[in-house]
This record gives sequence, structure tokens and C-alpha cells, in this order.
Amino acid sequence: MGKDGESMNKQTSAKKWRFGWIHLFPLPAFAIYTLFIVYPILAAFTYSFYDWQGFKRGSWVGLDNFVDLFTREPFNRLFWNALGNNVYYFVLEMIVQNGLAFILAYIIYTNIKGAGFLKAAYFIPRLLSVIVVGFLFKLILNPNNGALNTLLKKVGLASWAKPWLGDPDTALTAIILVNSWFGMGFALLLFLAGLQSISREVIEAARIDGAVGFRLIRTVIVPMMMQSIIIVSVYTFIHAFEAFELIYAMEGSQGEPVNSTDTLAIFFYRTAFGGSSGADSTAVGLGSALAIVMFFIIATVSALFLYLTRNREVQQ
Amino acid sequence: MKRWSLVLAVAIVFFGVVLAACGGSNNGGGTASSGSGSSATGSGSQSSSSSGSASNGSAEEKVVLTMGSWRTEDVEAYEKIIAAFNQHHPNIEVQFKPTKNTEYNTVLNTELSTGGGPDIIHLRPYAAGQVLADAGYLVPLTDLPGIEKFSETTLRAATGSDGVVYGVPTVFSSTQIFYNKKIFADLNLQVPATWDELIATAETLKQNGIIPFSFGSKEGWLLSLTHGMLGPAVYGGSDFVQNVVTGQTNFQSEAFVASIQSQLDLVPYFPDNYVGLGMDDMRNLFVTEQAGMFVMGDWEIAVMKGMNPDLDMDAFPVPWPDGTQTVTTWVDGSFAVNANSPNKEAALTFLEFMTTEEFGTLVVNELKKPSTIPGVVADDPLVAKLSQFADTISTPYMFVVYFNSGNPTSKSVLENSLQAMFLGEMTPAQVAEEVQKSVDTWFKP
Repeated sequence: MGKDGESMNKQTSAKKWRFGWIHLFPLPAFAIYTLFIVYPILAAFTYSFYDWQGFKRGSWVGLDNFVDLFTREPFNRLFWNALGNNVYYFVLEMIVQNGLAFILAYIIYTNIKGAGFLKAAYFIPRLLSVIVVGFLFKLILNPNNGALNTLLKKVGLASWAKPWLGDPDTALTAIILVNSWFGMGFALLLFLAGLQSISREVIEAARIDGAVGFRLIRTVIVPMMMQSIIIVSVYTFIHAFEAFELIYAMEGSQGEPVNSTDTLAIFFYRTAFGGSSGADSTAVGLGSALAIVMFFIIATVSALFLYLTRNREVQQ
Repeated sequence: MKRWSLVLAVAIVFFGVVLAACGGSNNGGGTASSGSGSSATGSGSQSSSSSGSASNGSAEEKVVLTMGSWRTEDVEAYEKIIAAFNQHHPNIEVQFKPTKNTEYNTVLNTELSTGGGPDIIHLRPYAAGQVLADAGYLVPLTDLPGIEKFSETTLRAATGSDGVVYGVPTVFSSTQIFYNKKIFADLNLQVPATWDELIATAETLKQNGIIPFSFGSKEGWLLSLTHGMLGPAVYGGSDFVQNVVTGQTNFQSEAFVASIQSQLDLVPYFPDNYVGLGMDDMRNLFVTEQAGMFVMGDWEIAVMKGMNPDLDMDAFPVPWPDGTQTVTTWVDGSFAVNANSPNKEAALTFLEFMTTEEFGTLVVNELKKPSTIPGVVADDPLVAKLSQFADTISTPYMFVVYFNSGNPTSKSVLENSLQAMFLGEMTPAQVAEEVQKSVDTWFKP
């Protein structure tokens, strides 16, 4: 007994020793994470409670910046305008990017031939830099000599050749469509992974029971890949509410034309740091307040969505 | 296992809060940007190079100064200027280190707020630079030898709200109407001397398939600029500006509303789909000789000549209905000394060099911009012509010189409103109303 007891203690203490060591390894990553993500978030939280003269911090003003954001013109109007644009961004991206990605993923799934090539082909846009994509599409969408309008004129649809990025009715839609082209590959891969995780027996059984085509998709496939759908949806939501890079590349930080491409992130950047001309005034306090509001919106809705869909994942 | 992860999570949050509190307790210490680590490393290397340099400008020891700016296009020009300076002061080395135009303000502000920053700072003019002066980042230049050469209006561009001069203004930006000489010659057109003649010229160009004015309304800053260039002919130039500044009239006056209406009246002479054209498109149209006239600033000369060296172009001032001529100008940058610099004496020596005629000559010939130092003549005939205009018939770009304050700035309100007007969503009267509302929030005559 004594001998076994000793080796038992040695084993457990050796385990405890390894256990301790294991927890040391992620520390460098956690340190970087804390410094570059946690600290700025908490700093922004702190900054939003102060008054700011340019880049110099002034006195504590409590919730004044938040009140300003929601009551003072034009910030109040701009905030709701930006929020509306973000919602539109999300809805359109869900329909176009994810809808298309799902359809294409299903087609690839059912016709395995050339799947590897197709997956790569659809994913390649995602590998480009967003700024490069924005710049290229700005050239393509140029109203007078861009590729799109030249093509439309050549096929006789000259009346459709509009100034896409200059018209407030079409500017945001154009940007969202470019974003959908860009991001579709990623959603497609996630959907494809979800589809391929459905066991073949279930599909066969459903087929035998007479479920084909749309019925099969609706009743069997979608519920079985719900996890992928949820992940893609949450990711799209977060991305739509943080939409910045493509808009900045194609329209600049003013949310032109006439605030139609103004999203919360662009509005934040302009308010906190001044516009792209650099000469506009900065309001770090207001910007921080806006950033905190954005954080809460995104975090709350994402958490709520994940909570509500927690039981919808059908276990295999 | 669960307890460990909980402890770790608490530790992270705890350290995050401690960092935030510590970073915030110094006066403005800590970066204000969320997670832009690159600017943090940028400020680190800048301050170490300036603090690593030798003594405070004693005659024999070598001093290294850094000069920050947004003019990445002028690196070669400044090398020549620094070389000329070194003829007089061989022991002071100056390193010109510009940052990308759109990021300059953010980078500079972050560096200054952490106690670093370049020794010599390229200051944005008027209100934008005033913010830095008021925050105490700059050395007052009241006793700088040579500062008395500049007129008070010119010095306004580098004066803090305490009335003290903090910068040496170096260049004017001057705006006028560039035109394609070849097209004008082909169509037998003369340089218009009155506003009506200008419209007639535009009409002739249009009838002959040439775009009269190369213009686009996609980018807001070009709208206030174009209004600033053509507006004085309608609202009455410097007299009107004086009246507004002293409170005798405001932006809802007939004269100003008419100046906005006149922009709308020019629409038939703009390119197709001008609402979707930005700066690059406007420049392209003029440089590829599809447009006859380009209402633009002198800073574009070098760019345009670079794109099409054979472009035969010249410029004429904006003609008023009664035949008066003006060009709209403003000081476009001054140089200041960082209050935290360990080499203030050496930096001030460089600033003194910037008040000399020698420097002014280098400005007009290398930077190809009108110099703020009176009496300097350029080699390039076009630049010389523009400098002469700037010295004799200038009127201020009032939305940069006087009305670039407020949050959002009255200038950006004007830009947004003009954009809405060109899209048919606002009338000129409404534009004037918006501008007045914005100005009322901060302006005291």
C-alpha cells in the first residue's frame, strides 16, 4: 500500500506540475490580446466619459458625450442614418452574399466533379486586399469610362449606365454588392463544410421517404446544417455592423454622397479622428461614446441571437 | 479547470483596467486610437530619433532634426532646400520625413500627445493648426528674426487663439481657371474678361463637343473649393468677407445665396454624370484634353505636367461681371517648432532660414508654389504668373481662413449641402440656411 500510495502521489503531483505549465503557454498570446484588444476597448470606455480638446483629455463629464450623441444635431440624425445603413447592409448581404453562397454550395455538393477547382475559384476574391478590390471596382464603376457602363452602352442599355457611386440611391447598394462578391467565397466554404457534415444515411432515408428537391432542402438539409448557417449569419451581422474598409476605399470617410454610405464605423472614424482631409475637427469623447454604443449593439444582438438559436442545432 | 480559466479571465480584465487607468492618468498619455498598434510603433521610433540627437545646437556639435509633413510629393524639393540651408549651417542635419496626407493629422496628434513628435512640425493652416497651438505643443515665435516680413493676414494661418504666432507660413495655395491653350486657339477663343464672356466661352466649347468645365461633385472638398474659387465673382470678394467677419452681413444674404445659385447655373457646362466624378476623373478629363477649362489650384500644376508634359496650358483669374479679377488664395501650411523638442535652438535656426528670400526662391522654383515672402520671382512662367496674381488680386478662401471651425466644421456643412444641391435634394436658399445654422453654433463676429 505504501509503495503504491507514494507513486500515486508522484503521479498526481506530476500531473499538477504539467497542468500548471500548460496554462503558461497561452500567456504570450493573451498578453498581446490584452494589450491590443482588451486595453483599447476599456480605454475607449474610459475616454467616453471625458471631455476632449482635440487630442488632449479634459475633465470628467460623465454621460454627457452619450447624451450629445443622441440629442445634438447633426450627430443624432447621423447616428440613426448610419444605423439604418448598417441594417440595410446586413439584410442585403444576407440575401445576396449568403443566399448565393448557399445555392452555389449546394450545387457543388450535389455535383462533386470539379469541386476542388470551384471552391478555389470562388474563394480567390477573398484573398485580395479589400483596398485593392475597392480601388478596382471604383474604376469599373466609373460613370463615363468604367467597364460596367461601357458594357451597358455597347449592348444598348445606355439608359442603365448611371453614376453608381455618385447617386445616393445606388452608392451603398453598389458597395454592398462588391462586398458580396468579395466575401462570398468564405460563406461558401462554411456552407459546404456544413453540407458535407450531414451523414449520407439521413439523406438516403429522406429520399426514400419521398423528399426531393426543395422539400429535401427545407426539411432535412437546412436543419442539419443549422450550425453553419448560424455561424455565417452571426459573422455577417458583425461584419455588416463594422463595415468600414470597402466604403472607405470606394467613397472616403465622409459617407458621401450625402451620407448615403455613412455607416457606424465610418461615422465613428470621422468623428474621432477627423475626415480623410485631415483638417476636420476631432471629437475623441463623442467618438469613444459612439464606439461603446456600437460595441453594445453588436454584442447584445449577437449574444441574443446565439441564445435564441441554441436549441436549433440538430444533433447528428 | 473551470476555476483556472475564470482566474485567467479576471486577470486579463484586471490588467486591462489597470492599463487603461494608468494610461489615462498622465495628461493625455496613451494612444486614443483603438488598436492601431502601427501608429504606436511609429511614435516610438520618431521620438527616439529626436531624443537621441546631440546637444542643444552648440556651434560645433552635430544636431539631427526631424521634420514632419503631409507632403510626400515634395521629398526631393525639400532635400534641395535642406542642402541650401546646410550651406549656412553645416552642423545641423535635417531629416524630412513626411507621412501620407490622409493619416498625417492622426499620426502627428498621437505622437504629440505622448510627448514625442518631430522637431519641426508642418502645421495645417488656420483652425486645424490652432488646435495644436492651443494645446501647448508649439513654441511661440514672437521673437523670431524675420517673422515681421509677413503680413498680419498671412500670419493668421499660424496664430493661436491667444494671438501669438506659432508658425512660419511658407506657401500660398492659389486657385484660378486653367485652360487648354490649343483648344482655345483652335476655336478662336480669347481669355474671358467678364463673367458673361466666361459663360459665352463655355457655350462655344460645349457646341464644339469640348467639355467646358472639368468638374465633379462626388468628393465634397472640391465643392467648397470650387465655390471658393468662383463665388467671389458673385458675392463680392474680400469686401463681402470683411462684412461677414465683422457681423454686418451673414450667409443668408442675397449676395451669398446668389453665389450658390451661380454654381447650379453652371451645370449645363459640367461633364456628363458629374455627380459620379471625383478628383482623379476631373484631372484626367483636363489632362487628356477632353475638357477646355479646369478651375483648380496651383498644387495640381506639377501633377498635370507629370501626366501629360505636352499639355499646353495657361491660367487666367476668375472674371467678375464688372470685369474685376480675383484669384482665391490662402496660406497652405506653416512650419512650427515642437515644444517638447530637445533641439529647439537648432529648429528655430531652420525656421529663421524659412523667412529669407533665398528660401522663398527655393519655394517657388522647387515646390512650384507661390511663396509667402514678398518679392520673390519664379523661373517657371506659369508659377511666376500665379505668384503675381496671388500678390496682387487675391481674395481669401473664407471657409478655410475664417470658417473652418465647429463640429462638424461649417466647411463640411457647406460641402454636404452643396452635394445635396447638385443631387437635387436642396435649394441654394436651403444650403445657405444650413451654413448659417452651423456658423451660428460657434462664430462670434
